[in-house]
Amino acid sequence: MRAFNAELSKLFSLPGIWLAFFIGAIAPAVIAALDSMAQKEEIIAGVSTRLSEVGYIGLALGVQGVIILGVLAVSSEYLTESSESGGGQQITTSLTVVSSRLHLLLAKAGAVTVISILLCIVAIMTTVSATHLVLGEYTPAFEGSKLLGAVWYWTFTALLAFGITVLTKNGIIPLAVLIINTSVVSFSFLLSKVTKLALYLPDRAGTEMFMFTSDRFLSPFTGGLVMFAWVVVLFIAAAIVFHRRDVAS
Amino acid sequence: MLEINNLVKYRGTQEILSGISFKARPGRVTGFLGPNGAGKSSTLRILLGLDRATSGSALVNGMPFAELHNPLVTIGAALDGSGAHRRRTGRAHLRWMARAAGLSSSRVEEVLEIVGLTKAADKRVGNYSLGMGKRLGMAAALLGDPQILVLDEPVNGLDPEGIRFIRTFLRERAESGNTVLLSSHLIGELAETVDDVVIIKHGKIVADGTLEEVIGNHSNLEEAFFARTSAHAGDAV
Repeated sequence: MRAFNAELSKLFSLPGIWLAFFIGAIAPAVIAALDSMAQKEEIIAGVSTRLSEVGYIGLALGVQGVIILGVLAVSSEYLTESSESGGGQQITTSLTVVSSRLHLLLAKAGAVTVISILLCIVAIMTTVSATHLVLGEYTPAFEGSKLLGAVWYWTFTALLAFGITVLTKNGIIPLAVLIINTSVVSFSFLLSKVTKLALYLPDRAGTEMFMFTSDRFLSPFTGGLVMFAWVVVLFIAAAIVFHRRDVAS
Repeated sequence: MLEINNLVKYRGTQEILSGISFKARPGRVTGFLGPNGAGKSSTLRILLGLDRATSGSALVNGMPFAELHNPLVTIGAALDGSGAHRRRTGRAHLRWMARAAGLSSSRVEEVLEIVGLTKAADKRVGNYSLGMGKRLGMAAALLGDPQILVLDEPVNGLDPEGIRFIRTFLRERAESGNTVLLSSHLIGELAETVDDVVIIKHGKIVADGTLEEVIGNHSNLEEAFFARTSAHAGDAV
């Protein structure tokens, strides 16, 4: 519990985290509002084919906030001080304060999970408000189960970003790959044109929890389970590597 | 008490440490000296559980570091730089450490005062000078008021005032019964500070004893050091 508190304290005292909060709270609402504006006429005319995705699209594409959170929680440990100030890394301090590496990793993952859940709840509030603002009385009802699915999707995405960064020790690669994947080109979408197996990739399977009612492949529950399995496998791999790795390497 | 027993470390196929053993005792400042790249930092990293030994053991009060329940109250360490994230303030850095070790935030203020960083505590670590970064590292090491201090190159790059501060401080710690182990490649700066000397060269201990024993017939520690670390060095004491 002390290590968990310390991890929360570490995250809240990093300036970069406020960017994650800002993007997490605002991006989904902006995406949802733009999408609602684009579809407004069709929705009013009752011919929209994507009515069930209204609003949720913001939560699907606007996960960058928690990606930054997950990456930063780990990459901040490995940021090297300038050589003239000694070239140290915070990870040495962290490991001399909490001697069990698994304990440190769990505390960190716990802090990322809690912040992701809270951030997604804020994002849901801003997104639902933005959708109502644009569509008014034509806003489709938001279902609790799908919103809960979005919360899981955000949390699992943050933990995937976290796990990948433990393996790479550097934030740039996971940040670039994951942000491009969620906002510009979805690799799982491209791959799914080649093989159906790509539909089991974590981002695609995870969005089944609250999207894709028209071309559904997995049930929301199965989709969530598949994404969770990815998180577990990656976390185990990260824990093994983190446990064995020399800090100096 | 710190005990290094027959420590061997390979990195890839290269042997960094070839079975070194020594002790650092309570009430004494032990200087761990050697040229750059001799294996000093590797030894300290293994001692602190940061790197793994290929074989042998490094014990803190008879236990490997990983088995210490709340390490900060037993052993304080300052390695490269400040060990803090450069975008965080000095105070915030010490605060998360205090939380992790279950220490009060008033202890943070105490250690800031001891190392003379109270006024700079709200500046970001990235704006600290080398000396201020070292002081922050020292504050972090002292946070849990541990009986054992491990410091890697504590005086490297410091101005004379900083060196004097570290020297006086370490002497006081040892005189009140604590164990102090410090590594350095700066021999002259430390001769007046250490009680015991361990000299390492190419991953092997070439001298181990009290300051007087290691100096032996040489005129001073520096001469003794070069006699043992230059190409035709003799056997260990």
